[in-house]
Amino acid sequence: MRRLKRWMLLLAALAIVAAACSSGSTTTTAAGGDTGGDTGDEMTEPLQVAFVYVAPIGDLGWTWAHDQGRKAIEDQFGDQVETTFVENVPEGPDAERVIRDLAQKGNDLIVTTSFGFMDPTIAVASEFPDVEFVHISGFKTADNVSTVFGRMYQPRYLSGIVAGAATETNTIGYVAAFPIPEVIRGINAFALGVQQSAPDAVVKVVWTNTWFGPPEEKEAAEALLASGADVIAQHQDTTEPQKAAADAGAVSIGYDSDMRAFVGDTVLTSPVWNWGVEYVDIVQQILDGTYTGGFQYWGGMDDGIVDLAPMSPMVSEETAAVVEKARQAIIANQTDVFCGPIEGANGNMVVDDGKCLTDGEMLSMDWFVAGVEGEAPAEAPTGLGE
Amino acid sequence: MTDTAPIAVALRGITKTFPGVLANDDVDLEVRRGEIHALLGENGAGKSTLMSVLTGLYQPDRGQILIGDETGSLRPVTIVSPRDAIGLGIGMVHQHFKLVPTQTVAENIILGMDGVPFVLDMGSVEADVAALSERFRMPVPVSAFIWQISVGEQQRVEILKALYRGAEILILDEPTAVLTPQEAAEVAATLRALAGEGKAIIFISHKLDEVMTVADRVTVLRKGRNVATVDVGATDKHRLAELMVGREVATTIDKDDGAIGPVVLRIDGVVARNDRGIVALKDLTLEVRAGEILGIAGVAGNGQRELTEVATGLRRVEQGTVTVDGEDLTNRPPVRFIDAGVSHVPSDRLGRGLAGNLPLADNMAMKAYRRPPIAAGPMLRRDRMRAFAGDLIERFNVDTPGPDTPARNLSGGNQQKAILAREITAGTWARERGRRPVLIAAYPTRGLDVGAIEDVRRHLIEQRSGGTAVLLISEELDELMMMSDRIAVLHGGEVMGVVAPAETTIEELGLMMAGEMRR
Amino acid sequence: MNLPYRVTLEKRLDAPRIVVWLVPVVSILVALAFGAIVLAVAGADPLEAYGQILTGAFGSLTAWLDGEFYAVSETVVRTVPLILTGLAVAVAFRMRFWNIGAEGQLVFGGVFAAWVALFLPGVIPGIPQTLWVYLPLMAVVAVAGGAIWALIPAFLKAYLDVDEIITTIMLNFVAILTYQYLFTGPWKDPEGQGFPGSALFPEFTWLPRLTGRVTLGLVLALAAAVVVWLIFDHTKLGYEIALMGENPEAARYAGVNRAGIIIVVMVLSGGLAGLAGFTETAGISHRLQQGLAIGNGFTGIIVAWVAKLRPGWIVVVAFLLSALFVGGDQLQISMGLPASIGAFFQGMILLFILGGDVFTRYRVKVARRPAAVAVEG
Repeated sequence: MRRLKRWMLLLAALAIVAAACSSGSTTTTAAGGDTGGDTGDEMTEPLQVAFVYVAPIGDLGWTWAHDQGRKAIEDQFGDQVETTFVENVPEGPDAERVIRDLAQKGNDLIVTTSFGFMDPTIAVASEFPDVEFVHISGFKTADNVSTVFGRMYQPRYLSGIVAGAATETNTIGYVAAFPIPEVIRGINAFALGVQQSAPDAVVKVVWTNTWFGPPEEKEAAEALLASGADVIAQHQDTTEPQKAAADAGAVSIGYDSDMRAFVGDTVLTSPVWNWGVEYVDIVQQILDGTYTGGFQYWGGMDDGIVDLAPMSPMVSEETAAVVEKARQAIIANQTDVFCGPIEGANGNMVVDDGKCLTDGEMLSMDWFVAGVEGEAPAEAPTGLGE
Repeated sequence: MTDTAPIAVALRGITKTFPGVLANDDVDLEVRRGEIHALLGENGAGKSTLMSVLTGLYQPDRGQILIGDETGSLRPVTIVSPRDAIGLGIGMVHQHFKLVPTQTVAENIILGMDGVPFVLDMGSVEADVAALSERFRMPVPVSAFIWQISVGEQQRVEILKALYRGAEILILDEPTAVLTPQEAAEVAATLRALAGEGKAIIFISHKLDEVMTVADRVTVLRKGRNVATVDVGATDKHRLAELMVGREVATTIDKDDGAIGPVVLRIDGVVARNDRGIVALKDLTLEVRAGEILGIAGVAGNGQRELTEVATGLRRVEQGTVTVDGEDLTNRPPVRFIDAGVSHVPSDRLGRGLAGNLPLADNMAMKAYRRPPIAAGPMLRRDRMRAFAGDLIERFNVDTPGPDTPARNLSGGNQQKAILAREITAGTWARERGRRPVLIAAYPTRGLDVGAIEDVRRHLIEQRSGGTAVLLISEELDELMMMSDRIAVLHGGEVMGVVAPAETTIEELGLMMAGEMRR
Repeated sequence: MNLPYRVTLEKRLDAPRIVVWLVPVVSILVALAFGAIVLAVAGADPLEAYGQILTGAFGSLTAWLDGEFYAVSETVVRTVPLILTGLAVAVAFRMRFWNIGAEGQLVFGGVFAAWVALFLPGVIPGIPQTLWVYLPLMAVVAVAGGAIWALIPAFLKAYLDVDEIITTIMLNFVAILTYQYLFTGPWKDPEGQGFPGSALFPEFTWLPRLTGRVTLGLVLALAAAVVVWLIFDHTKLGYEIALMGENPEAARYAGVNRAGIIIVVMVLSGGLAGLAGFTETAGISHRLQQGLAIGNGFTGIIVAWVAKLRPGWIVVVAFLLSALFVGGDQLQISMGLPASIGAFFQGMILLFILGGDVFTRYRVKVARRPAAVAVEG
């Protein structure tokens, strides 16, 4: 009997562990840059484009959004392209093998969609100079490796305006993956947006330390709801925080894709990725023979690679109008999110009136603005921006 | 019981093989209503296999089981599980009771029964059990917890459990092994009463005395075959022993007077707790001298286990001292006892004495692997280990295909010989170092066949005569009387007295074992 | 129960040699047959899929004739950590010490190795910055890292009798979170623009490559297998480990120091897992980043178990399992099947092999009930 119990325990333990150790994706920011250039490349066969995903498409978040981009290429170019994808590739030694395998199988363009694929992409690219690589969210480039990312902080700021208008408890929960600049930038932009419509509201942050962790994401959201939050925002790969909010009768802000489609109208809006915009552009250039690799792209709402999803009917028309006005101002480059005055969580005046953060300062952001409660890696400094 | 009583159960031509072993070979057995039928045989003769076939644990390769009704007309049945067996009125009382200590007597009796309602009316169950125990004159405290009652009472609970399930055919596996002589006599009376009610009783044993006094008929198994079924009145002990072993056997042992030397093992005022934290040895003092066998008599569970463990360093002592040949080893690790020349034949061969899945060679090297030539620095010389084992196998006559055979595949007797060989050899190393060896033998002949018992006893006597201090724990009073120079009786963790065999009787020992007399 | 017959399992006293060999082979064949059905249902040609798995894992004949061994070299890359974690698990399991913590011990080994690579040159600049000084140093420190992490459950078990299953599992999480904290926090690459991950190790700490991505780690893993075999079969320690595993009571009786042996075994076990952390960081990623804790510590349990804890077989099983993983990717890459089909297929093969073991220990009996009883029942 005792023996049997031990075995049961052992088996149960293994099951827990196996469930817990499935690794997630990593995403981060990339530096800004421009596309352009021209190269001749004759195409007779369909252009073969392969995608490497870190999570299953079924995450309805990060990877799903990339797969929408893949489908956009297919819709746009039809027989001229042939796309494949490999999902759920962990960011370990396996990644390099999968990327190399795709290169050997004759793909012309390989898109690797997680930060952790950066080194393997660079390594494989050096062996296949005739294959073009696009890495999402990294910072290393090579002649045939370009990086692509978007200014997600812009729509996040807009979504903050919506969240601030919705909160009654003046407490907004934010389920966040890792305390890295990309995520912190999103939180700060969101908080600045919130303060536009609810000056006294606080944004409470809980770190899950995982990109793809449905149970952790759900638990974090529940904890935030229990501590008084009535709006839940997130920076994760799945819809779990949205579901948790809906279950508790609260509203939420989605991310990655229009999560209203999966969860319902309690998702007021979502800052979304439109990867297809850039993917289609790159494929078009390759087909035209005008493509030159090795660029760094950090596009904003003006390019359309990031945007805000349509509002839920639960959002008032006044709020929607305010948001749309702010959106147009950003698209028209009349203003940006991180322009002074910006006060840090510790009371420091980080950005003085009339100054705006540089791209470099945004890309290394490790402090919180006033109104954010949670653990940031660093104290807010003073005198940034130019 | 008469020869014309209807047949309760018949086994016809039962054959059961395990890979490489013919456990039952065309065995017939017939048991009548109102009969106590003893199943006699050495270990490995096929008694347990046969009963496992009858109770549905094994399926026979060939043969038939028939159950009779009141008129004696038989019908064939197939029994594929113990549940089927119970349904057919076959109940088994195992040697090791299968009771839950933290439940009451009544709860244990209904445990696992079909059709027990979800909400129990324990009052009516207890009344039923009480009525049953009255009817068969087996008093049990129905609402007491199992851990509170004595071993004899626990056995009655097991029997009642079978009767409560409507058992007409009752199988008892060595029912007296854990009882005092007095308790054993009570069990015999109980069985007699049950037979009087028309139950058929099958009674597994290897003790000739018991069979002669309790049973009506005996079926003797040897090497899987039924060698005889005889009326007890028409045979005698000697004849049964011959049938069982297949040859002439000696029932006495030669022992010289020996030369008793100084005290080697000294246990002085020791207090120790058992695994459950209850004080099991209460201020116990014993001395074993070189060249003597000190026998320990007592009902199992009265401190024997703790005594052997205290004397070998396997159990902590709370008070008192343990001294070996003048060296104070109180609460020293077991390896120090081994170094001091304390050898140990444990009561539980496969539980402690051997690692059953490991080869015999590994098992025989359990005391030798630290010393050259088997050890060479941190390395282990497997070739020398095999050679060492091979040598012991030959000298001690261990019957095995070879030193690579897993120890569990040996018969009980040969396992015991292997342990003895190992421990006696360790004793000779102690002697080479100028130490007086100690040999602690706990139930060394339990479960062995007659031939192996003779061997074991001869070795123990040899050790004694060679100057080893021998502590012999046994449940067989005959054995103690025959082997010991002195006998100490344990009861409740205390020594009730130390007597010389010539100056006492089995009855007196029985009273001391029951705690009713001190000497 | 009105069936006219009943199937029961009966324990075998001794499994015949033929059964021991036949059962795993039949298990695999049954798994492949079953897998073929699943693949067919998923819309793939099973034979083509199996062909793709084989070439994906081992390469094709034409590739071999061209001197192209890329596929099989990738299988070997995957094999190295599995050999080491398989050995780590086997050492502990041999003693029936259920070390489920190889994952965390591997991570700690990697973290310790990373510290040497990233910071030791700065702390003690005097150490010659060459491969042959730094690599042994990193290996030793990684072994120490894994061993230290394994010592916590070892001490808890040895002196307080705390169940090691719970402690080793829990310490995995602690180790993984610590490691994530390090590369997202204090050890983050100062020039990495805030991205999670340490700086790249200096090149004199990279394990030299033998071919493709196969590094010297392979030699280390094979050497470790030999050492573990020696320990198991030819040392007093191995004897005591086996004795403790088979019967702890008998080991105590034979004078084995229980606490001491638990500690030695866990130092060995954790050290081997830590060595895997070294081969993965110094050999493959060359930095501390996401992707060190990808389950090798847990897969090692399967490797050790299927190999029945024997070092030689661990090498073989680790290679075959890697082939299954590497080749299995082709179900996605070449056949366009979803990742879940690949994982399902891999899981099923393992399930059949482990489940088939029942038939080596039991034999199946079908008992017919005579009509009389059937009517009654």
